[in-house]
Amino acid sequence: MEFAFPEYNLRLMAPEIFLFLWALLIIAYDVLTKRKSETTAGYLALAGLMITGLILGFTGTGHGFGNMFVSDTAAKFFKIIFLGSAFMAIGSSFGIMREKIVNHRGEFYGLILFSTVGMMFLSSSNELLSLYIGLELTTIPLFVLAAFFKDDKLSVEAGIKYFIVGAFSSALLLYGISFLYGLSGTTDLVQMKINIAITHLTFQNIGVILILAIVLVVAGIGFKLSLPPFHQWVPDVYQGSPTPVAAFLSVGSKAAGLIAFAKIFVNGLFAFHHPDMAPNDWGRLVALLAVAAMILGNTVAIRQTNIKRMLGYSSIAQVGYIMIGIVAMNALGMAAMGFYIFAYMFANMGAFAAVAIVEDKTGSCEISTYSGLARTSPLLSATFAVFLLSLAGIPPLAGFMAKFYIFAAGIQAAQHDPGLYWMYWLVGIALLTTVFAIYYYANIIKQMYFAKEPSPHKVTYNFPALTVLLIGLAGLFVFGIYPEPVLHFASGIASSFGIIP
Amino acid sequence: MEGTANSMSEYLSVLIFIFVGIGSVLFTFFLSRLIRPHNPYKEKSIPYECAELPIGDSWFKFNNRFYIFALMFVIFDVEVVFLFPWAVAFGELGLFALVEMIIFILILFFGLFYAWRKGALKWV
Repeated sequence: MEFAFPEYNLRLMAPEIFLFLWALLIIAYDVLTKRKSETTAGYLALAGLMITGLILGFTGTGHGFGNMFVSDTAAKFFKIIFLGSAFMAIGSSFGIMREKIVNHRGEFYGLILFSTVGMMFLSSSNELLSLYIGLELTTIPLFVLAAFFKDDKLSVEAGIKYFIVGAFSSALLLYGISFLYGLSGTTDLVQMKINIAITHLTFQNIGVILILAIVLVVAGIGFKLSLPPFHQWVPDVYQGSPTPVAAFLSVGSKAAGLIAFAKIFVNGLFAFHHPDMAPNDWGRLVALLAVAAMILGNTVAIRQTNIKRMLGYSSIAQVGYIMIGIVAMNALGMAAMGFYIFAYMFANMGAFAAVAIVEDKTGSCEISTYSGLARTSPLLSATFAVFLLSLAGIPPLAGFMAKFYIFAAGIQAAQHDPGLYWMYWLVGIALLTTVFAIYYYANIIKQMYFAKEPSPHKVTYNFPALTVLLIGLAGLFVFGIYPEPVLHFASGIASSFGIIP
Repeated sequence: MEGTANSMSEYLSVLIFIFVGIGSVLFTFFLSRLIRPHNPYKEKSIPYECAELPIGDSWFKFNNRFYIFALMFVIFDVEVVFLFPWAVAFGELGLFALVEMIIFILILFFGLFYAWRKGALKWV
């Protein structure tokens, strides 16, 4: 039998390989030195992420491993987001490292890096199985990280909840993937796109199996993306898990779910977006879930008293906005999706970093703790306010530009295609729910700035956490005023998925 | 797509295979029940029929140290499972596969090293 070697192109995988080895190194270092230093492992992890970013910059584009591994603009863009969110999560974790996690510092950083490696593999996968493995490698370390405070009931509960929900959603996703494989006879996404389209054209109707596949995959990835009705785990897990882990979950893990979603639906089921394909269309289904996410996330967030729960519901709502970009299925939509998650990374990681700083000082995540904080800790309050305003979408900040592009993409899709007239409704509801969002974000700013009594707490900063705050601040202002370079980069996502502008 | 009917009949054979598999086990049990003598007594139903006298019930809480050892065993057990197909295909794959497998084993050895340094191999 003739055995043909696939073209490996190992150099395309250099960032992942390096980061994986670096994670092993950090764990080994921590075990060998018997955890004498409380910060070295953390700085090592930050350095590793920066070096990986540099390697990623020098890595070219192309295919490897017999088309299973692809390095294109979409993959690179999302890898930058994963590295950035891991960087900011680790940066904001030095406080809990000093106080709470004494025995397992190396493991903590190692697991975050492993999860990042999984996300990077996921964003490079061009095929259903490697995509699934990437998603597993992303979530399994996160189960452990969510339960990292072993003596804290809430943290253990968060870990168990996330584990059960994660395992269940993986099973659903795998079931859906098996249907897609059964329909197309291939796991390669591009080949799948062609095969399913040919089957559809040959028989004029592909049958109900595709609906089943679509529903199962939407449910499987919907759990990771926390789209309602698959969102119930989010507030509990965010509240219980260590704050940097919650931050990483809300940005890194969500971006991973997003790229997996985009790969399967935008690329693989390209032809089945439009209502003309009814009942085998996924566009309206996802739009419905996006509406549910925006309404539910934004309204329930108003009632929260714990800031991590509130940010959890707000992140549910943010995913709803991002989904508009995906449902629009045009070049601007893909670019807007990329830009949105980019801006969201700065704002949300920054907000969680601020929460972590306050939690380190006060030990509390209640919103009432923030009352009068502006008088004692002006820098923290100002940056936190900026992050919240960006999440709400207030003009000079990147969050506004992100929302603007998302809504523009939705309107553009509705104008160009009479079959997508309901996109007007989608954008309308998004605009309306944004108003709710401003209420609960502004409520915290009100607590910080307009309370009668000054806060009894005065926060102290450690250097990495302060850096994270400043990175977030700089990112929001720079890319809010001058979004072109990122948007230009993100517009390459569309062509990675075969959408021609 | 003219192969649709064919592929369905292939799945049908899998289904038949499952039923035949379950059926043959049940049939064997049924057959042995028909022809064997049925004479239970107390000594015969204790776990060690030959010599060892059991102390207490077997349903008690095991030391959770066993768990770590079992886990480590499973890791290296699964490693061997992966080694078998690799060994069968080794002639065709050549040097690259050797390097890949060495990397795989080294990563697993890192796990062993980690467990050793953490003191997981000590019986406390």
